[in-house]
Amino acid sequence: MSEILKVRNVTKSFGGLTAVHDLSFDIRRGETVGLIGPNGAGKTTLINVLCGSLYTDRGEIEMEGKMITRIPPHKRCHLGLSRTYQIPRPFPELTALMSVVTGALCGKNRVNRGLDDAGAEATHYLEFVGLFSKRNILARDLTFFELRMLELARALATSPKILFVDEVMAGLNPGEATKAVRLIARAKEEFGLTIFWIEHVMAVLMEAAERIIAIQFGEKIAEGTPEEISNNDTVIEAYLGAGWKKGTCN
Amino acid sequence: MVDVEIRRDRIIIRYKGKKWDWILEPRYWRNTLIWSAFLVLFPIISYFVSPILLNTVISANLYAAIAIPLALMTLGTGRMNFGPNFFIGVGGYTAALLSIAYGWGPLATLPFAIIACLLSALLFSPLVIVARGLYYVLLTLLLPLVFLEITFIYTDTFKGDVGLAGVKTLVSTGMVKLNFLIAAFISMFIMLLYLWVVNKVIKSRYGLIMAAINDGEEVAHGIGVNINKVKILAFVFASGMIGIIGWFYAHYFGTFAGITYLPLSFMIKILLVIFIGGRAQVFGCIAGGYFIAFLEMILIVTMGPIQPVVFAVILTVLLFALPEGLFGLYRKRRYREYMPTLHVRR
Repeated sequence: MSEILKVRNVTKSFGGLTAVHDLSFDIRRGETVGLIGPNGAGKTTLINVLCGSLYTDRGEIEMEGKMITRIPPHKRCHLGLSRTYQIPRPFPELTALMSVVTGALCGKNRVNRGLDDAGAEATHYLEFVGLFSKRNILARDLTFFELRMLELARALATSPKILFVDEVMAGLNPGEATKAVRLIARAKEEFGLTIFWIEHVMAVLMEAAERIIAIQFGEKIAEGTPEEISNNDTVIEAYLGAGWKKGTCN
Repeated sequence: MVDVEIRRDRIIIRYKGKKWDWILEPRYWRNTLIWSAFLVLFPIISYFVSPILLNTVISANLYAAIAIPLALMTLGTGRMNFGPNFFIGVGGYTAALLSIAYGWGPLATLPFAIIACLLSALLFSPLVIVARGLYYVLLTLLLPLVFLEITFIYTDTFKGDVGLAGVKTLVSTGMVKLNFLIAAFISMFIMLLYLWVVNKVIKSRYGLIMAAINDGEEVAHGIGVNINKVKILAFVFASGMIGIIGWFYAHYFGTFAGITYLPLSFMIKILLVIFIGGRAQVFGCIAGGYFIAFLEMILIVTMGPIQPVVFAVILTVLLFALPEGLFGLYRKRRYREYMPTLHVRR
């Protein structure tokens, strides 16, 4: 598998706080990569840097041979980067359909696509996430789970090559969470996506991810298959504390 | 180049990989046509019944014609501009100064007024990128006030306290009443043209993109919207439209004084047109424009010196009583989707 995204020595600081420090990794085409780390490890900052919401202080990001370190978010989207947010950020005054239409109208396949074409495209994604019957409801009136699905549909409508999923399980009950995980797996199959998945629930990544990157204080502490990561002493220490490893905790 | 394809129900325009569908919706035209006919008949009736009303009609048309582009600007930039009258000042002074200096008529000064407005809007357009919220409000609020100060400082040029006189008038048929009637129709034409253009823009792909920017700028940027381009375009385009009203004021009255259009009182009137009309609804701007102009006229006639106080009290009560505005009342009864609902055969 060839690399679709190369991240080299990326550093991002906010004043005296270094949120991401000298981080390097590759994402290969078609794989699901998980990103784990304790709260405040810099996971969302990393996604913000990769999607262009924030620019790196140092380091380089390369997508399919093209340097994207300094290009704005909309151009990264046109190249095939898309994301969902940890806390859903819908367009509250737009209907579900229109929210997705905006994604279809401005995303990677925007060329020669009118409002009607985008509408037809958007219905496909709404049906995919199970929101077709709610298409004419304003986004502000949707439930939390529906908002998560709407975000997924909006991201998929931009025809991404890489989808960054930011803690999709947060705030969902077990039934909804299972649905969401299955849907992301289906999206990967149907649309040929590469997925970069931030998650706290290890069980999900153990099942879905082919490779996991663990970070702490913005630095990479481990990278490997889910089994390797779950048995990695440094990761266990970062998550559960040094005491756990020594067997002093109850 | 531009490829235009006309079909039974729509006009499709293609240009450089972009495609616009203009759906023709005759079933939705009835009410618009009825109201337009009413608006066109009103000045004619006033001409025979009470010609003094023509002046109020012109004021109403111009209030609405300022509010409509301002609604577009508000939607497109996702920010409330509190100084649209700055562009009235730019357009009006450009037209007045050129007309006085070179003896040019309205048609000759129009392109220069538009260019001056577009250039000044382009100069201040970074505001829509760097400032947001209260800062944007304060900065835009300052623009006309600073301009007003400039007209006082350089009073030799701008005649800040008395205004520029001797501008060539818009129409001069020799009959005062007829001049007013023609000016009323020109102002109405500008207003209806603005309504049509802005409504088309809002119903197009750009309207949807602007709505997305309005709802969540960063999210819109993340899903591929070039927000800076859209915001600057909306700001500059709407400013040019507002500037044309300044040009109209200069040539309609034959004089132009910044002290009339640049202070806060005029700006508040325009903002009230938008809010009383219905929260930046383009059709509501016309209802708001006519309401404010006629309320002002009635109060001036009946209330005398306490008119400004009563005017403010009535409007404050209305802002509370009608949060959705006048157009909101109509819209509640006749709700229509933003875009005709898509019916997919399943």
